[in-house]
Amino acid sequence: MIYLLIGIAVVATIVAGSMRSRALSRGVAIGALGLLAAVPLAVHDDATINLLADAGLYVILALGLNVVVGFAGLLDLGYAAFFAIGAYTYGMLASPQFGIHVPFWLLLFVAALLAALFGTVLGAPTLRLRGDYLAIVTLGFGEIVPQIFQNLTKYTGGPNGISALDIPRLGPYSFGLSATPYYEVTVALVALTILLVCNLRASRLGRAWTAIREDELAAKHAGIDTTRTKLAAFALGASFSGLAGVVFAAKLSLVSPDLFQFQVSVLIVSMLVLGGMGNVAGVIVGSLVLSTVNEAILPQADTLAERLFHLRVDLTADHYFIYGAILVAIMLLRPEGLLPNRERRAELHASADA
Amino acid sequence: MPTLRFAVRALACAVLAVTVAACSHGGRSQRSSSGKTIVIGIDLPLSGADASVGESTRDGMLLAVEQARSAGLPDGYTLRVETLDDAVQGVHSPQQGAANVRRFAADPAVLAVLGPYNSNVAAAEIPIANAAQLALVSPSAVADGLTVGPTAEELRRANPGLNTFFRLCATDTRQGSAAARFAIEKGWKRAYIIDDNETYGLDLARVFEHDYRALGGVVVGHDHIEAGTQDFKALLTKVAGTRPQVVFYGGTTSTGGGLIRQQMAAAGLDSVPFLGGDGIPDIAQAIGAAADGTYYTIAAPDVLRLPQARAFVTQYERRFKSPVGPYSANGYAAAEVVVHAIEAAILRGGGAMPSRADVVSAIAATRDLPTPVGPVSFDAAGDLRHPIVSLYEIVHGTPQFIEQFAIQR
Amino acid sequence: MHEFVAQLINGISLGAIYALVALGYTLVYGILELINFAHGDVSTFGAFVALAVLEALGVHGALHGITLVVVSFLACGGAALSCAVVNAGIERLAYRPLRNAPRLAPLITAIGVSFILENVMQLWRGPAPVPVPGFFPNLVLTAGGMTVTLQQIVLVGMTIAATIVLQLVVKRTRLGMAMRAVAQDREAAALVGIDVNAVIAATFVIAGLLAGIAGFASSMYYQSTWFLNGFDAGLKAFTAAVLGGIGNLGGAVLGGFLIGIIEALATWQIGGQWSNVAVFAILVGVLVVRPSGLLGESVPEKV
Repeated sequence: MIYLLIGIAVVATIVAGSMRSRALSRGVAIGALGLLAAVPLAVHDDATINLLADAGLYVILALGLNVVVGFAGLLDLGYAAFFAIGAYTYGMLASPQFGIHVPFWLLLFVAALLAALFGTVLGAPTLRLRGDYLAIVTLGFGEIVPQIFQNLTKYTGGPNGISALDIPRLGPYSFGLSATPYYEVTVALVALTILLVCNLRASRLGRAWTAIREDELAAKHAGIDTTRTKLAAFALGASFSGLAGVVFAAKLSLVSPDLFQFQVSVLIVSMLVLGGMGNVAGVIVGSLVLSTVNEAILPQADTLAERLFHLRVDLTADHYFIYGAILVAIMLLRPEGLLPNRERRAELHASADA
Repeated sequence: MPTLRFAVRALACAVLAVTVAACSHGGRSQRSSSGKTIVIGIDLPLSGADASVGESTRDGMLLAVEQARSAGLPDGYTLRVETLDDAVQGVHSPQQGAANVRRFAADPAVLAVLGPYNSNVAAAEIPIANAAQLALVSPSAVADGLTVGPTAEELRRANPGLNTFFRLCATDTRQGSAAARFAIEKGWKRAYIIDDNETYGLDLARVFEHDYRALGGVVVGHDHIEAGTQDFKALLTKVAGTRPQVVFYGGTTSTGGGLIRQQMAAAGLDSVPFLGGDGIPDIAQAIGAAADGTYYTIAAPDVLRLPQARAFVTQYERRFKSPVGPYSANGYAAAEVVVHAIEAAILRGGGAMPSRADVVSAIAATRDLPTPVGPVSFDAAGDLRHPIVSLYEIVHGTPQFIEQFAIQR
Repeated sequence: MHEFVAQLINGISLGAIYALVALGYTLVYGILELINFAHGDVSTFGAFVALAVLEALGVHGALHGITLVVVSFLACGGAALSCAVVNAGIERLAYRPLRNAPRLAPLITAIGVSFILENVMQLWRGPAPVPVPGFFPNLVLTAGGMTVTLQQIVLVGMTIAATIVLQLVVKRTRLGMAMRAVAQDREAAALVGIDVNAVIAATFVIAGLLAGIAGFASSMYYQSTWFLNGFDAGLKAFTAAVLGGIGNLGGAVLGGFLIGIIEALATWQIGGQWSNVAVFAILVGVLVVRPSGLLGESVPEKV
């Protein structure tokens, strides 16, 4: 029943979203937000809410990476590093580790700023590098950062990480261990991220990014300060990751280096490519689809096979295979992603004609 | 206004996909706790690199449950097992573990969870299990901080007086301690310590170093490797330069123990004994003859001395057609503890469906339950009472029991 | 000093394997500008095949003389050929359809293929490391207090031989010329009548041969193999290729040896858990100063 209502609301949203009326668009946006926030009232299963909260965090991560890769065209394969920085910020400043207990809400800002700072620091040496060199260097950073967290045992808890992190409070109300408050915070942050990202895209900076992405040399000669533009992309992209990291750490009440390995960076890049790089809506869809595949479908592969195909198989050893096959299949069937933006579609069809 | 349109469309997609996700997932929890079926959850890493130990541990658990099923539970109750994998893309993931335990906690039919395998996954799961008053029995999570100390108390802050986490293994403290005593007994005064910089290995090596020094040993070097490295020649050349009398390894065979032992010969260290914890018992299978001269501890009495252990090994090999894994016996014991507790709770409740709290207190009340890892009783923190650590040496490719240590905390 | 040289030898041997894998990487990148993430895993697949050959031949311990040579050829050949086939297959099925797609698409596909290969190998031999019979005799050469094993010599020798042969192929044969043409400008090459598809396929075959040889070498040297070896080795090898200047064969080999030496020295001086950090730090440092790598040409960008 509730799903029927949600379905109707979705259709209404899409229709209304295409309309010209600004007030209506705004109203629908608020309605959609309200609907998302109200989901825990209908779905009482804490495990599902937890899944949705995780999915929301991946959306934020994907949107952040989209700024770097989709908007500015900078191939970043080590994005999980900033996620780790955000998470460890919470882990080190809101836990028994050093006895410092900074409030969750303040840490959201702090982590975003710190991640942005590191984004700038990591981006600085890469400015002169061309596409694939950049990819390898960012990949290297993605490997180094969790390794550093793992090695500096005295500060970061080493491979054990830091556990029993502080539980966030909102006034007298403590978040507790239920996933619902984290979900609500995530929904709010997702909405914020979407708004910021769309505004960035329409801004002068966004246009500068497009210019760099399409032809850096021409952009430079047109007067764009490519250095600052690129650094801004890294910094802003990373800051979203920092936000997500804080919520992630608080919800899990634990940070540990093996949560931020290369596979996570790959996952987020895949979300972008799957959904349609550059296209905000596409990225959201891509991230939700892949995170569902990863967290809901793959662990249940056996049960699904039984229910759908009446096959009694033990698929636990095959998760990697299925995930890889899905990636390959999607790339072969629709490389531009599910919801490509107009330029991408033109690119691909033009070369098909040639 | 294009920006707003984008944003709205984006939100719409979000709502749509959320619906899909909620649909695919919500259907599961509509099940009510029907009649007389009791579900035991298993959470282990079952894919990727950890699968080698995860699967054999799970098989040990399954064997115990199958045997309990064929023996029948009191009052017509039946057991069902639900297994979830906490490895994501090949690596054990605390995040996935937490999600799995939330799933178990949300299912009222689940009365206990077996697992997890890894200590950091346990750190993420204990708070959730504690809040749900759900028993969490691990065969192998050895980090000290899970049961003792300020962190352990923090993990239980939802229900501070209640402990729902139990484990069937000796903690690092005890194994490292036993190994240090053994090394000093053998007269090995100079030790080089290597660990794999992972949760288990790092802790074990730390304890060994501390106790070894306290007993008068000299640590000539302590190095951390990166798990999964293949080439240890550089490290071992360095080790050879310090002329140690024993090399201690904190870690497992697959993170580097096997290769290190194998490459010791090339560095001129083949006559130096190699000492480790219960992460390397399969080293002979991994490297064959090069494993001779390896000593390791097992947090259990010797298999040959316990009829339960012998019987277990035979039954396991017959059922699964493969040799037991390093933690199969612990998994079996954990499952035995849970089944026994469920039965006790049913009987105490006069046939009514036990609650999770009933099962927890029944587990805590376990007294000298005979298992392949010895008689099991738990202390107030969920650790084994009277843990025994056995020491083995590999001679001509087979492990030989050398000595047994009884550890007091 | 003594220990420094010993570590240097360790590093060179390690680097030889990286160099072999890096050659394959750089070959494919030069022609397609594709980072073939699956390359490291193909190499590990070669190691698995070599192991299978050894087991089929009933090899248990050290061999000598002509038996050793024949067995080595069979194992190495088996590995090389099977990897060539696998590599060509991957190119045909997974990369060719995406030749005109945006850069990230084949990259993601390569990652997907890498996952598939890893899982296949895990299903084949299990998730734990697998021992490989040590069929090389433990002969050592001692000179001035330094020891070098026969395996190390053979390893480095193989790498050098492979590099020389590859250089000859690329510089002196028609195929090599066609490869260089396609690498330079794919459309122009097609216009002068080169069968671009065939040339790319041939490149992947050659890269596959190299990967197989690297896999054989690794299994021979470490007497062990593991389904996840490919990931780490592939990453380091690609780093080596980039360090040396991607697209440059000599650069790949130089980079491979350098990375091996850096790793060995870093392990010696600051500890194994920092070796990866050291390797990447050096990479970043070099690229900041010389963005095209050590031996790469600074090609001025045509506007």
